[in-house]
Amino acid sequence: MRIYHPRIAAFVWLAGLLALGIAGSRMLTADWLETGFLALLPATEQQPEIAKAVRQHNELINGKVICLTGAGSASQAIAYAHQLRQRFEQSGLFTDIRLQVDQQDFAERYQQLFAYRYQLLDAQTRGILLAQPEALIGRNLEMLYSPVGQLEAANLERDPLLLFSRYFNAQNPGRFTLEQGVVVVQDDGRFWALLIAGLADNKLHLDNLDGLRELLNDAKGQIEAADGELLATGMPLFTAEGSHSAQREIAIVSIGSTIGILLLLLTFRSARPLLLSCLGIAASTFAALIVSIMVFGKIHILTLVFGASLIGVGIDYALHYFCNSFSSADWTPAKGLQYILLGITLDLATSLISYASLGVPPFPLLREIAFFSVVGLVSAWATVVLLFPLLLTGFKPTHKPAMLGLTNYWQQHWPAWLLRNRIWLAPIAVTGITVGLLQLTPRDDVRLLQSASAERLAADQKIRQLLPVKADSQFFLVAGKDPQDWHRNEQALLMRLETLKQQGAMEAYDGLSRYWPDPDTQRDNYNLLKRAVYEAGLLKRYMAELGFDEQAIAEEQQRFNAAENSSISLAEWLDSADEARKMHWLGCDADRCVSTVSLNGIKDLAALAQLQDLQGVRWVDQATQLSSLFERYRASASLLLIAAYGIVLIGLGLKFGWRNALTIISVPVFATAVSLSMLGWFDQLFSLFNLFALLLVLGIGVDYGIFFFLAEDKRSSTALAVTLSAITTLLSFGLLAVSSTAIVHAFGFTVAAGILTALLLAPLVGRHGAGKQTE
Amino acid sequence: MIYLKALMLFLLTANVCMADELLDQIHARLTKAAITRGAFEQTKQLKVLRKPLISTGTFIYDKSRGVAWKTLSPVPSLLLISDTRLWTAQGEQPVPAAFGKVFQAMLGADLAQLATAFDITGSARKTSWQVRLVPKDEMLKKVISRMQLSGDQELRVLEIFETNGNSSMLHFQNISHPDRLTAGEEADFAHLSP
Repeated sequence: MRIYHPRIAAFVWLAGLLALGIAGSRMLTADWLETGFLALLPATEQQPEIAKAVRQHNELINGKVICLTGAGSASQAIAYAHQLRQRFEQSGLFTDIRLQVDQQDFAERYQQLFAYRYQLLDAQTRGILLAQPEALIGRNLEMLYSPVGQLEAANLERDPLLLFSRYFNAQNPGRFTLEQGVVVVQDDGRFWALLIAGLADNKLHLDNLDGLRELLNDAKGQIEAADGELLATGMPLFTAEGSHSAQREIAIVSIGSTIGILLLLLTFRSARPLLLSCLGIAASTFAALIVSIMVFGKIHILTLVFGASLIGVGIDYALHYFCNSFSSADWTPAKGLQYILLGITLDLATSLISYASLGVPPFPLLREIAFFSVVGLVSAWATVVLLFPLLLTGFKPTHKPAMLGLTNYWQQHWPAWLLRNRIWLAPIAVTGITVGLLQLTPRDDVRLLQSASAERLAADQKIRQLLPVKADSQFFLVAGKDPQDWHRNEQALLMRLETLKQQGAMEAYDGLSRYWPDPDTQRDNYNLLKRAVYEAGLLKRYMAELGFDEQAIAEEQQRFNAAENSSISLAEWLDSADEARKMHWLGCDADRCVSTVSLNGIKDLAALAQLQDLQGVRWVDQATQLSSLFERYRASASLLLIAAYGIVLIGLGLKFGWRNALTIISVPVFATAVSLSMLGWFDQLFSLFNLFALLLVLGIGVDYGIFFFLAEDKRSSTALAVTLSAITTLLSFGLLAVSSTAIVHAFGFTVAAGILTALLLAPLVGRHGAGKQTE
Repeated sequence: MIYLKALMLFLLTANVCMADELLDQIHARLTKAAITRGAFEQTKQLKVLRKPLISTGTFIYDKSRGVAWKTLSPVPSLLLISDTRLWTAQGEQPVPAAFGKVFQAMLGADLAQLATAFDITGSARKTSWQVRLVPKDEMLKKVISRMQLSGDQELRVLEIFETNGNSSMLHFQNISHPDRLTAGEEADFAHLSP
């Protein structure tokens, strides 16, 4: 111990923490928390250019909130929508809020395209011209004679063939009614007004998400009080609910931890262990947070939840130290450290091995959690070893806590009872565990990650039923080496989609090449008009019959001739397009142009996925991809867990001999088996995330085993340490079982079952020393 | 504030149409029926054309379903309008601002409905009446400057004046109020059911 100087050690610890503090103070003011759930996608799973396109697409949809206000009359629904818009405006959360569609503005922007009316033919007009040009005249007359043909008639002078009206109408099909400029949908006697808003911050900061949630809840309350309805959906809302419940769960864990802390206070009758425990947890979480942000730039909120849980093992080191003080009358911090150092270092090593294994698969979340908890554990260990000896100077509880007597009685009699009754206990336990394990069914659906309320899901469903909302996470990416090549590829895809649509594979699809013909097609369109209408004498006959004079006919012929060589580029076309269309274009770089083709009302995923085979086409299905990823990573994480057990066993074997190693490791093995079988018995969720819990069970279970194995004559203080540790763990992480997020709940449940079993089994270890103990 | 304004507007217009004697008088004169059938002659004057576009045909108005507008000459065609939808053989189109309701309200002589969308002035004599409608809706105002309706116990003439100088005049004849639609008319309206 000569080389160990408490003051120097504490100074080293303090210097380290200060350095982190200085680094952290800068970092924590930046944007460090990731809440979006698409950020969980592993980058290596996709080719980088596809990953980039998907990221662009996600950024475009990430900040959109869609709201419908409902009432018994259209005007009332619109009044609610105005009320909502005002609230949105006052909140300052949104950059663009769309309620009234300015048709005039819309029409004006479209007028930019008017000059290209001979080049931009819609598919129907093209079809008529190819098959039977005469029919076009009939259709035009029908439009002009119609009692509602005012808009068409207004353009008649400049566009006698109504080419532009046809193109315009083909682009804006739909059955929405505009009232007072607001889109109103009617359904079963109720009217719904549409409001779309884009968040100013599409990176979804936590504060803003909370604000958004409250804003919508308030608005909903107010509208409902006035007998209206409010439906809202959009990625930010799902993320907001997710992060809200994550925050609530962190709060639950804090309450549990507080109760645990009170227990510590009662046991030690001193504030010192309590303050030191808090300091230990705080320092290790802080260090983990800062170092993780340094390495990853940003960390996900789920990393915080699971990572903070895994660091929980760290409190055992401190508890073990404090409880050791009850073991002998002449206890000093230095002696205590000497005694526990081997145990907690071994435990650190085993935990590090098991947690670090999480980082092996290329899954960003797993890597973050592995790194976060490894740093946290090392810091927890360092705090106990470097700082506590100095701060525990003079700490010597003179009382004998009631807990100590209780745990001592328990550690003496409970294993004895178990051993006496093993003849009937063992078969029951084995049968129970086996039957439970047989009922275990993995579920890997990524949607379990979302903790959306039933209400939110119902609103989302209803909106999708009322409006043709595009599928957010399922779409096609179409690429080409230049705009021409891209256009060809997308056209090929759209043709196949049309066939699938008629077969009922989906309700609708949309892509830019439906509206923008490439220069070759533009030339074809012009030539088609020339051949079928302008040079065939059809124009003259049609215009004369309608009542145009000679001069008007000549002027139209001149306008047509003058437009022969004009052509509109994609960039110019996009300039006039509305937001929804623009979102399809992901842009061109040096050697690639990429767009998305969106889908509505998907019925047959398999048929759509098959279109991947087309040139330049990539099917993107983020939900299914993530779910299958979770499945694969659950499988590999299971193997990692087994491998971690193997490595821990080898380590223990080399240190204590194989027989003893098997005894120690049987504690977490049995705890894991019971935990898994409980999941089966109670039909709990079993996915990748339960494996984190099982790693924690491994770490803590080995811990209990080692402590009891090394206890020798200090079994009573060890029993106290283990019991306190189990209770604090159950109070904190076991409490996650009340979570509404399926995976967090499963995590808590798994930890609770595992830790309880480990606690009940650990006293069986090291009983050979039972006779020697001095109490 | 907007909510209050909307509420006041609603109450005000509701009052106007209740209290307005003119509308009451006309309403008293009109035949009230769920179904109206008749023939029309439409004359459209377009500035750019030397002669008017004249079309004739039949129409049927059904309170619960909407309007079926059947042009017989010069180009046979069918147009269906309900509150929320506009259907033609060429495909479905968005209903122009407030138009579906207005068109229906005019053919159904639903004056209360018209009063919510237009400022109404006019006169009523013993047998005949005449009203002039100016749109309230900003969108509609941009297209239509005013409309004129006249009739006796039925609507007889409807004139629409557009802001760009074009106008339409519709004459209605042979008006009857059958109890139910014919099978053919039922089939036409079926296009509007989803």
